[in-house]
Amino acid sequence: MNKVYKIVVIIVVLMVSVGVSMGLSFGEAVAEKSVLRYTQAFPTNIDPAIGEDFSSTRALTVLYDTLVYPDEKGAPQPCIAKKWESSSDGKTWTFQLRSGIKFHDMTELTAKDVKFSMDRLITMGGGYAFLFVERIVSAEVVDDYTVRIHLKEPFGPFPYTLYRLYIVNKDLVTSNIKKPGPYGEHGDYGTEFLVTHDAGSGPYMVEQFRLEEYLLMKKFSNYWGRVAPNAPDEVKLIGTTEPVTVRTLMSRRELEISDQWQSLEALTALDKIKGVDIAKVPVGGMFYYMMNTKKPPLDDIHFRKAIAWAVDYDTVRNTIFPGFNQARGPIPHELPGFDPTVLQYHFDLTKALEELKRSKYFGKLDQYPVELHWVSEVPDEEKIALLIQADLDKIGINAKVIRDPWMVVVEYMARQETSPHLIIMSISADYPETGALLTSKYAPESASSVNQNEWLLDPKYDAMLKDALSTLNTEERYAKYAKLQHYIVDLCPTIFLVDTPSMHAYQSTYIDWPAARGEGIPVIGYELDARWIEVYPDKRAELLK
Amino acid sequence: MRTIKFIVKRLVYSVFVLVGLSILIFVIARVMPGHPARMALGARAPEWAVERLREEMHLNEPLYVQYYYWAKGALHGDFGMSLVTRRSVANDIKEFLPASLELALYAGIFMGIIGITLGTISGWYSNTWIDNLVRVISYIGIVTPSFVFAIFFVLIFSYALEIFPTMGRIAPDLIPPPRITGMITLDALITGNFAIFLDALKHLFLPAISLAMGPLAQEARITRSSINDNLKKDYIAAERSCGIPERTIMFKYLLKPSLIPTISIYGLDFASLLGNAFLIELIFNWPGLSRYGMNAMLRKDLNAMTAIILVFGLVFVIVNIIVDIIVEYLDPRIRLGVERGQ
Repeated sequence: MNKVYKIVVIIVVLMVSVGVSMGLSFGEAVAEKSVLRYTQAFPTNIDPAIGEDFSSTRALTVLYDTLVYPDEKGAPQPCIAKKWESSSDGKTWTFQLRSGIKFHDMTELTAKDVKFSMDRLITMGGGYAFLFVERIVSAEVVDDYTVRIHLKEPFGPFPYTLYRLYIVNKDLVTSNIKKPGPYGEHGDYGTEFLVTHDAGSGPYMVEQFRLEEYLLMKKFSNYWGRVAPNAPDEVKLIGTTEPVTVRTLMSRRELEISDQWQSLEALTALDKIKGVDIAKVPVGGMFYYMMNTKKPPLDDIHFRKAIAWAVDYDTVRNTIFPGFNQARGPIPHELPGFDPTVLQYHFDLTKALEELKRSKYFGKLDQYPVELHWVSEVPDEEKIALLIQADLDKIGINAKVIRDPWMVVVEYMARQETSPHLIIMSISADYPETGALLTSKYAPESASSVNQNEWLLDPKYDAMLKDALSTLNTEERYAKYAKLQHYIVDLCPTIFLVDTPSMHAYQSTYIDWPAARGEGIPVIGYELDARWIEVYPDKRAELLK
Repeated sequence: MRTIKFIVKRLVYSVFVLVGLSILIFVIARVMPGHPARMALGARAPEWAVERLREEMHLNEPLYVQYYYWAKGALHGDFGMSLVTRRSVANDIKEFLPASLELALYAGIFMGIIGITLGTISGWYSNTWIDNLVRVISYIGIVTPSFVFAIFFVLIFSYALEIFPTMGRIAPDLIPPPRITGMITLDALITGNFAIFLDALKHLFLPAISLAMGPLAQEARITRSSINDNLKKDYIAAERSCGIPERTIMFKYLLKPSLIPTISIYGLDFASLLGNAFLIELIFNWPGLSRYGMNAMLRKDLNAMTAIILVFGLVFVIVNIIVDIIVEYLDPRIRLGVERGQ
């Protein structure tokens, strides 16, 4: 027995020794680097013809350049293109490119790369191709520094959509094409190469990409454009959103900006860390509770309006999303073209009952229960669903709350028959302009997508929208957008809940993030553009003492 | 010779098992709700692009035709393209499998050493306070999910005490060793880089111990129970009455037969570590196959799903063969029974 005891003690001592030696720092470099680290949900696709989610877009924005770049109001400013003009009929746009812009392999960016990028995006059909496929006829190389894009129809917001046309290095991609592939003579169009490499000219370039772990980007020393004086030397996108991991990294100053998927409770805990604050960054998004206007009882406008008046919006924005603005109509406040005169529904049970009594389903409510769906990957949505269920119960509407995984949502929203009664979704504008949301929310082509559960299919709306989008003059276009917003609110196909800024915990002591100060660019991807974020390693070192 | 025959026979049976498994998972993956081509291209991709991808993946063909294409590729080591990572599934497995194997290996070491040690102590000191303490620890270990341990360890050792790193396989400032096995600790040892070895071990410690907690508690209980049963056997009483020292009884006559059920369960537990590691890999941002597999399932990445299940199945088969060999070595009754059968 003594021998057994001794053996056990020896094993324990050995394990403790190994543990202690592992606790010591062996071979760790202590040099202070200027690095910006933020967490994101993986996968991150850095192929410009594939990536379109939050994570991918944030990486693409710094790896690649675009023809135009948004200012803090979202309006297009010169970038690769130093100037541009449209023909009088609005169908031809000519861009004059800057000379001397280098890709990361030091070859020059010219018009052929722009054409190649557009052709590649449209041919592959993924990523942000949906912004272009139905609009673009062709891209034409006029000369080395002039490219002309031909549209099928005049499209006023066209320059805004170019924030999503990331210019790739044609020669580099073509030399890394694998054949055979699904794109005929183009093989795989360089897809496999661009999984872990970039072919861009942006202020940062891929240093290392460990899939499922992190993407490390380093500053491109020959970048043609301006970057902030203290922009980080490295940017690291860490592929995790686990609250305990994020919190630990933040407290150890190994993370500068958290992802936007942290719950309210997690953000509250992060806010308590010394030197960490919470930023509310507008990205042109909103929470919509979308009503299927073709499914009884929601095919009745009065029934829908009854629901809209019955929702306790104050509880939504004070308790579930404290500090968020209640939405006013279908467009978030920060988007250019937003109309502040649109009716804003508010909690009013009297009005709700009045509308309900005018509905053809009044008196038969027990035969027409409604289902309130929410997406299981976004737990906060359940709180809203439960709140609305309780609100509807006050006016006699029987509502059931149903949770669906995202994969199932995508499938059943593809068809009108299987689309649910109501489903909540946070939707952001693809480019910072009201037309983006009016199209992605209510245009007929979005009816089978996750952006539109309403199945509006309203010919009058479609005609008004088409007319507005074809208007080249900005002020005239915005005036038409205003009419569309009033029209939609009158139809009431949606419950407009709250504007949804992107919420991030960040190290306010040693990073200066313009978006956190309210000076950000209200477009997904650009609000976290590392070239404008300044990092102060000495202040970080002070915090660590 | 006999062992070789046994291994060959088991491997032949395993082929049938794996084929059956591949058919099963192939069918299940395709009847699950979700539209893989649509998920891959994005909710607003044009219909013609979605249709092109469906054609490319043969999703418009009957199931048996789809299986034929898949099996033809699989026999050449080509499991198709991952819709999530956009590269070949074979490359993904090559990249992520070593990380998971490394994690499972160290978890397995913890499971074995700690579990068997605790179970032996508990069994030997049965019905004492030592036994009661070990049993309570075992119960807690069995009922508590591994991710709870993971979160607890991160909060204590990474957040509060800052002893261990929070995530990843290696410190960001260090250059990994040349890739030989893909397991950083082994590659560091092979290339003689002790500093990297220790750093990788430091990164491995919390995830491995979190993953091992449940199974090691089970090993402890089974070992304890087995020792208790064997202690009551006549041959132990006979040995004691002959004056054989307790130490000799323990290590020569008691431990070996008592480990037989433990080893059998150990094999199953070890094989399931790979599949159960998903939450651990998520919390520690560990780039392993389990996490890759879960993402494949959430996004209905058909090719990746099927390949991963096959890999896990293959691991189960290999581990079970090894366990059977070990059990046969430990229990001469099995060896003799087989010989007589011949």
